[in-house]
Amino acid sequence: MNKRRWLAHIVFRALVHRRGRTLLLLAVLTLASSLATALGLVSASMRARVAEETRKYGANLVVVPESARVEVGSGGLHFGAIGEPAYLSQEQFLTALAKSGVKGDYSFHLEGALTLKGVEIPCEGVDFAQVRRLSPWWQVDGDWPREGEVLGGGDLTPRHHVHPGDLFEFGGGKGVVRTRVSGVVTTGGDEDDTLFIDLKELQEQMGRPGQVSEVRLLADPGNGSLKDQAALLQRHLSGAVVKELRQVGRTSEDLLGKVQLLMLLVTAVVLVTAGSSVAGTMSTTVLERGKEIGLMKAMGGSRWDLLKIFSAEALLLGVGAGVGGFLLGVVIAKFVAHSVFAADAALRLEFLPVAVGVSMLLALAGSVGPLLSVFRLDPVQSLRGE
Amino acid sequence: MAAIIETSGLTRSYGDICALKPLDLCVPEGEWLTVMGHSGSGKSTLLNLLGGLDRPTGGSIQVRGTDLASLSEDGLARFRRDCVGIIFQQHHLIPYLTALENVMMSQYFHSVPDEAEARHALERVGLGHRLKNRPGELSGGEQQRVCIARAIINSPRLLLGDEPTGNLDHKSTTMVMELLRELRDEDRFSIVMVTHNQEVAAWGDRTIHMDDGCLVREERIKAC
Repeated sequence: MNKRRWLAHIVFRALVHRRGRTLLLLAVLTLASSLATALGLVSASMRARVAEETRKYGANLVVVPESARVEVGSGGLHFGAIGEPAYLSQEQFLTALAKSGVKGDYSFHLEGALTLKGVEIPCEGVDFAQVRRLSPWWQVDGDWPREGEVLGGGDLTPRHHVHPGDLFEFGGGKGVVRTRVSGVVTTGGDEDDTLFIDLKELQEQMGRPGQVSEVRLLADPGNGSLKDQAALLQRHLSGAVVKELRQVGRTSEDLLGKVQLLMLLVTAVVLVTAGSSVAGTMSTTVLERGKEIGLMKAMGGSRWDLLKIFSAEALLLGVGAGVGGFLLGVVIAKFVAHSVFAADAALRLEFLPVAVGVSMLLALAGSVGPLLSVFRLDPVQSLRGE
Repeated sequence: MAAIIETSGLTRSYGDICALKPLDLCVPEGEWLTVMGHSGSGKSTLLNLLGGLDRPTGGSIQVRGTDLASLSEDGLARFRRDCVGIIFQQHHLIPYLTALENVMMSQYFHSVPDEAEARHALERVGLGHRLKNRPGELSGGEQQRVCIARAIINSPRLLLGDEPTGNLDHKSTTMVMELLRELRDEDRFSIVMVTHNQEVAAWGDRTIHMDDGCLVREERIKAC
């Protein structure tokens, strides 16, 4: 029998012989690693859940061109500043997005105006497919526009006696736009006072092909923060400003960060407690096995030989408890995620080595003190039972 | 005949208590030396020093030319596994291992566990039928024979016995002593054995008597 197999054999026999203490150590280590696994899984599923919830609030970043400002005044008089409408190239934005590596969904917006029966109406050119993806809370009475159709805001349409299905001729910069109102949109925001038209149509009417006045972006921060994503995009986008559109995303991130910190602290406390428990149990085991250790030394076992035997016991316990802890942790995570977040915690196998690693580390850390005492044990005294 | 053990002015003190006073001793290769004395006379202290289980506080101790006082902790461990076999009064077998595995444990520290060799050693001590029994399932005499098999498995040149028959009845004592004599005659190793028992001492070649840490008397029983 080779030495490695023999070592595994005697370690297994020793653990089985002291099955009470082995089970106690296994239970402590399993609970500790299961908690680490469960909190890790819950934390990961929380992040996914928060990201999913945040998505419902729409874009979290907005990109606007830096507007040209002209100071108005004469001599010592200062009348303030007037801003000229500024535009951003769609191509420039797409290039910057690709270079920055920021992932997410976006929609282009071009603000302008059309005339209806001599009255100027605020309108916005959009890609309806993009807007529909990015603004799931928009309620449309009627249908979303198809080609050649527009969408009227909920406050705008009654003022101009517009109803879904009506045909109109709007006056634009390049001529008349004949269109049909497919539906009326209600958002509870400024959009209710706007007429939404196909982006390319408005760009043509305004003589601004490929240009927009705003890009809304629903960035996926992944494991980073929204602020970092904004800064990343800003670095590749000169002549435009990237702003966080709303605080919801950031607040969610902050909250998530705090909850994760809390989980981390709880895990740390549990691991320290479990480590102490392991150290206590291992110390008792070493004391109980004093004669055995003395005998091994008397037989010619070096300190290294004994270190190998006791470390192997700790590691074997760690591996067993790690696998058990992972399985238990998955069950706990699923229960917590289901009962607290009404969601499912996905089984992530990458947590298995984490659980085993935590358990092994804990078993070894808890054994350091007892192992040092194994080193110092005097064979004569321990054989006498002193 | 060359000496396997040579001590000169060997002492061992524990604080103010001098357990072993300056001792000059020479044990030739192949000799069976018995150490007798009352409790506290220093005989076990001497045995621990000869086995490299303890360190002297003074003098020198050489076993097969190796100065034990100069060895490091790991050096002493190497000495114990390569040069000596120890038989204890309390047997000190590992309770969760079988007789065979207890013998193989000694091989593990020395080189590689070899089941066939370990089985042969147990057969030599008459325990071929008890290989798979644990210590708790063996009688005192059988346990002591497992200890002997464990002590001789690595072919040491020196066998140390710390009252190996102290816990055995007369019949078992005789069996163990006969066994030791047989093994010694076959393998030609030296034996140093501590005992209280005059009958046991009669199995050896020479007896030294100790009292209060000093060698007080020496008697030769047989020519070596």
